[in-house]
Amino acid sequence: MRKIIALHSYKGGTGKTLLSINLAATYVKTGKDVCLLDLDFRAPSLQAAFKTNDAEYWINDYLNGTCDIRKVLIDVTQQRGGKGRFFVGLANPTTEAIREMTAKDRKWEMRALGRLLSLKSSVLNDMHMDYLIFDTSPGLQYSSINAIVAADAVLVVTSVDTSDVRGTQRMVHELYDLFDKKTGILMNKVPAEALASPTKKEAFRRQFNNLHSLPILEAIPCFCDILRSGGTYIFAEEKPEHPFTKALERIAAQVEQF
Amino acid sequence: MTMYKKLQEKQPTHVLERIRESLERLNEKMDVMIEIQKQNPRGVESIPDVLDVMTLLSLPDHLRKTAVTLCRLGHATADQVAEQTKRARAVESGYLNQLVFMGYVKKERQGRRAYFYVEKEG
Repeated sequence: MRKIIALHSYKGGTGKTLLSINLAATYVKTGKDVCLLDLDFRAPSLQAAFKTNDAEYWINDYLNGTCDIRKVLIDVTQQRGGKGRFFVGLANPTTEAIREMTAKDRKWEMRALGRLLSLKSSVLNDMHMDYLIFDTSPGLQYSSINAIVAADAVLVVTSVDTSDVRGTQRMVHELYDLFDKKTGILMNKVPAEALASPTKKEAFRRQFNNLHSLPILEAIPCFCDILRSGGTYIFAEEKPEHPFTKALERIAAQVEQF
Repeated sequence: MTMYKKLQEKQPTHVLERIRESLERLNEKMDVMIEIQKQNPRGVESIPDVLDVMTLLSLPDHLRKTAVTLCRLGHATADQVAEQTKRARAVESGYLNQLVFMGYVKKERQGRRAYFYVEKEG
């Protein structure tokens, strides 16, 4: 079933963008048609990740009502070489655009919500895409809450850091629950020793399941080779046998069943 | 009373359900009026506001569900909203009118049908 998935987190630097890109690539690898949108208007990142300078229009323009979503989407299918179609929509990374986006009023945000909601019809139904993935800004701010309201499922990326866990707990009760969203937790950058054996892994999962009162879809260890790669390539494409890629495949399968 | 008894004999649960829904709607309307009265002791007819996500978060659960559904549909009748929320048409009509009363939603008539919307497209 066609779905909009939002990746969100309480704090920044949890790995939302890395996981969004790799989740999208995982689906494309298996023949699904995917559209990945950068909704992190404060720190746009997808342009660097996809090394593209093809953007004539940005998601900023679509949300401003100055162009159609099809003008924003860049077809990276050939570049990525997966089985499915792969489109990305970029946020304008210029300082001027970031400043402009932070100064929007409530009425603009209300219209932006309407435009995000209509992507279900224009991207999923009209363009026949299987998944629309939103990479959002961290925390409670307009752009990320708009994305959550427009999404069918929310994947919350969190670390084991106490402040992150507490903030995520609050967001579960004061945000996702209120909008009745299908939500799953992705624990990222988990210290390897916490997952060193099946018993430890199970204990870890149980502990955090209880803390968040939500299913932990995956506990992803902290991988030094991901840090070493410096975001220069997409793991799910280049390293099919890597445990990180395998973790993404399990996440993709679970989200499909949501 | 006799008429009520006749009705009750015919379709007791249906009639009671309708009475319950009407009472619930009345209660909710009164709550809204009391709240508005508290905030505007001098009396203002309506408080026009913006139905953004922060407002959606501040609404009670039952109204939030209606408001989010209307945001998705854009322009809809109570029937169309009820179809999505799986609640009774009469209940949705009550909630939509409450949102109109609160200034978040607008209403227009086209023939016999009443349409609700957050903002006119275009």
